[in-house]
Amino acid sequence: MTRLIFMEHFMFGASMALYFVAALAYFISPFVKKEKIAKRIAGGAFMNAWAGLLVHTIAIVLRTIESGHAPFTNMYESLSFLAWASALAFVLINLRFSIPRVGPYIMLIVVGLMALASSPLMPKETTPLVPALQSYWLWLHVSVTLIGEAFFAVAFITSIMYIAARDPERREKMDSVSYRAVAVGFPLFTLGGLVFGMVWAEKAWGTYWSWDPKEVWSLITWLVFALYLHTRIRRGWSGKRSAIIAILGFLAALFTYFGVNYLLAGLHSYA
Amino acid sequence: MKSFLRFFSTVKLAITLLIILAVASILGTLIPQGRSAEEYAVRYGGLSAIFIRLQLTTLYHSFWYLALLGFFALNTMVCTLTRLSPKLRRASRPVVESDPKALAALKVKDRWKRAGSVADTRAAVERALRAARYRVRTSGDGPRGFLFARKRIAGIFGSDIVHAGLLIIIAGGIVSGIGGFKTQIPLKEGEMAPVPRAAFEVRLDKFTTEYYPDGAVKDWKSTVTVLENKNPVLTKTVEVNHPLSYKGFAFYQMSYGNDWDTVTVEVWAKKKSDPAFLRKLTLKPGGRTTLDDAENTEIFVRRFLPDFVLGEGNQPETRSLQPDNPAALIEGFRSGAKVFDGWIFAQYPDFAQMHGAEGADLAFELKGYTAGAYSVLEAAKDPGVPLIWLGCILVMAGLALAFYWPTWEIRAAIEEAQGKTDIALGGHASKSRDRFEKEFASVAETLRRSR
Repeated sequence: MTRLIFMEHFMFGASMALYFVAALAYFISPFVKKEKIAKRIAGGAFMNAWAGLLVHTIAIVLRTIESGHAPFTNMYESLSFLAWASALAFVLINLRFSIPRVGPYIMLIVVGLMALASSPLMPKETTPLVPALQSYWLWLHVSVTLIGEAFFAVAFITSIMYIAARDPERREKMDSVSYRAVAVGFPLFTLGGLVFGMVWAEKAWGTYWSWDPKEVWSLITWLVFALYLHTRIRRGWSGKRSAIIAILGFLAALFTYFGVNYLLAGLHSYA
Repeated sequence: MKSFLRFFSTVKLAITLLIILAVASILGTLIPQGRSAEEYAVRYGGLSAIFIRLQLTTLYHSFWYLALLGFFALNTMVCTLTRLSPKLRRASRPVVESDPKALAALKVKDRWKRAGSVADTRAAVERALRAARYRVRTSGDGPRGFLFARKRIAGIFGSDIVHAGLLIIIAGGIVSGIGGFKTQIPLKEGEMAPVPRAAFEVRLDKFTTEYYPDGAVKDWKSTVTVLENKNPVLTKTVEVNHPLSYKGFAFYQMSYGNDWDTVTVEVWAKKKSDPAFLRKLTLKPGGRTTLDDAENTEIFVRRFLPDFVLGEGNQPETRSLQPDNPAALIEGFRSGAKVFDGWIFAQYPDFAQMHGAEGADLAFELKGYTAGAYSVLEAAKDPGVPLIWLGCILVMAGLALAFYWPTWEIRAAIEEAQGKTDIALGGHASKSRDRFEKEFASVAETLRRSR
C-alpha cells in the first residue's frame, strides 16, 4: 500500500467517525430539555458534519491523485462519492432551511454508504481506466448525476419524515424542504444523468441512446420526478401523495445506480 | 376536433401517460431485449410466443410503445400551446388596474393610509418598486391610481421551453430512426474500404494496442485516412472516446482482432533421445518445411485455430476469433509416408496428442504465433443528433428558468380617502414565496416610512 492510499484510508475512516458523531449529536439534541444546550448540540453536530465533509473531500482528492483519474470508477469509489455528495446536499440544504431534525437520518445514510464501501466485498485497489472510461465526460456525467441523486436522497428522507411526523408545522416544513430538494436534484439529474450521458454515449458508442437498462432506469427515475412536479404544480398535490412519489423516485434512482449493475446486464458494466 | 383537443390538453392525461410510460419501460428492463426466439423459449416456455407477439422482446421499438410516445408528444404539444397564448398576453399586455378587494384576498398583501396626494403616492410607490428592480406600469389619474410591477417574467415560460425541448428531442429521435444508419467496417492495416452511402473511402494506416504495465489494455488506436477519389484528404487517430468526423459521418473505434488468415506460427521440435536437439520452425498454415534431422522429416502445419474447441461430432473448430486457446495441427512425413499427426496447444504444451510421434522420437511445442491486426470501425450517420443537442439545451434552459427565475408581481391600488391616500398592495410569486414575502415586506416598510 502506498503512503497516499494509507492516508486516504485514514481520512476516509476519520470522516466516517465525524459523520457518525454528527448523527449521534443530532439524534440526542431534541431530547435535551434545556433549549439553549439542545441548540448548542445541534450546532456542534452541524460543525461535525462540515468537518466530516472536509476530511472526506481530502480523502477523495488523495484517491484522485493516487489513481490519476476520476474518483468514481468502481463501487468503492462511487459509494464514497455518493456519501460525500449526500453530506454536501445535507449541509447546503441545512444552511438554507435549517433542518436539524433531518440530520441524524441523513448522517446515518452517509455512514451506511461508507460502511458499505469499506466492506471487504468492494475491491479498493486503484485500477487503471479501461479505454471506454478515458474521457473528461466521466467527471461530468458521474459527478453531476450523483450530486443530483444525493438531493433526491434528502427529498427521500424528508418525505419519510413527513409521513412519520404528527406536528403540522413540522409536516409543512418537511413537505416544502422535500420539494426544494427535488427542485435542485431534478435539474442536476437531468443534466448529469441524461444530457451529459447522451453526449458521452454519442462520443464513445456512436449512439446517444441505446435503451441500455441503465439508460432506461434513468429515464424511469426522470419520469417519476416529472410526475412529482406535474401532480404538485399543476394538480396541487402535496403532503402524503407527493411524499410517496418522491420516495418512489429516490428508490428508482437507487435502483438505477445500484440495482442495474447487479441485476441487469448492459453497456454500463464498469463499476 | 374540439373534443380531441380537450382530451389532449389535460394534465390528467399527461400524468396517466407518465405512469404508463414508466411501467412499460420497467417491463422492458425485466425482459431481456432483442434475443433469439430460442432463448426466449428456454427462458419463458409457453409464454415466449405471447411475449414475442406483444412485441415485449423489442419493447422500445414496438408499435405500442412508440404510439405511447406519440401520445405523450401530442399531449405535451397541445398542453403547452393551449397555455401559451394566455401566458403571452399576461407577459405583453398585463392588466394594470386592480380592485383593492381582490388585492386583499391575496396571500401576500398590505394596506395602510398615508398623507399626500394620490399622484405623489403613486410616484413614491413607483420609486420604491423600481429601486427593488421591478419593471413598473402605471395607469389611472385623479382620485385613483394603479401600479403593476413585475420582475423575471421569463420564468413563467420555463415549463414551455422544457416541453419544446422535449418535443425537439422526440423529433430528433424520429429523424435518427428514419435517416440514421450505422455499419461496421473491418479493416486490416493498409486496407481501404468504401464507406456505404458516402462518396468517400477510408483506409486503416496503422492499428496499435497500448497496454498498462500490468497488462490491461490502455487504448486501441487506429490511424485512419479519409480518401476522396483516391486522394487522401484527412488523417486522424481514432480512439475510443475520440471519433473521427467527416461530412456527416462519424467513425468510432468499435472492435479489433487478429487477422488469422495471415498467421505465422513458431513450432519447436525436440527429440527425446537427444536433449541437445532443438529445431525452431516458422511456418504459415498450409506451409511445410524439412526438419534438419537424420530422417529428413517433413513437417506440415495443416491448420491453425485461435480458440480451439471440439465442436459437433468431435470436430476441432474455433470458438471465437480471440486467441484464447491457440492450437496448430501438425503432420510429419518421412519418405512420402505420414508417420505422425496431431494438435499442439500454445497454452497446454504437455497436452499434445500426437499419433505416431513417440515412435518417431519427436515432440512438438507451439511456441508462438503472430498475426496481422485488423480494426473494426463503426461508421455512423445520424442526422437527428443536432436536434437532440438543441432539445437538451432547451430542456436545461427551461428547467433553470422554471426553478430559478421566479416571476414576482406586485400590484397597487391607490385611492383618495378622507383627505388621506389609501394604498392597497398585493403580491404574487410563482416560486420562492418565502423570499418574495421578505422582499414584499421590505418594499412596504420603505413606503410606510417615506413621507
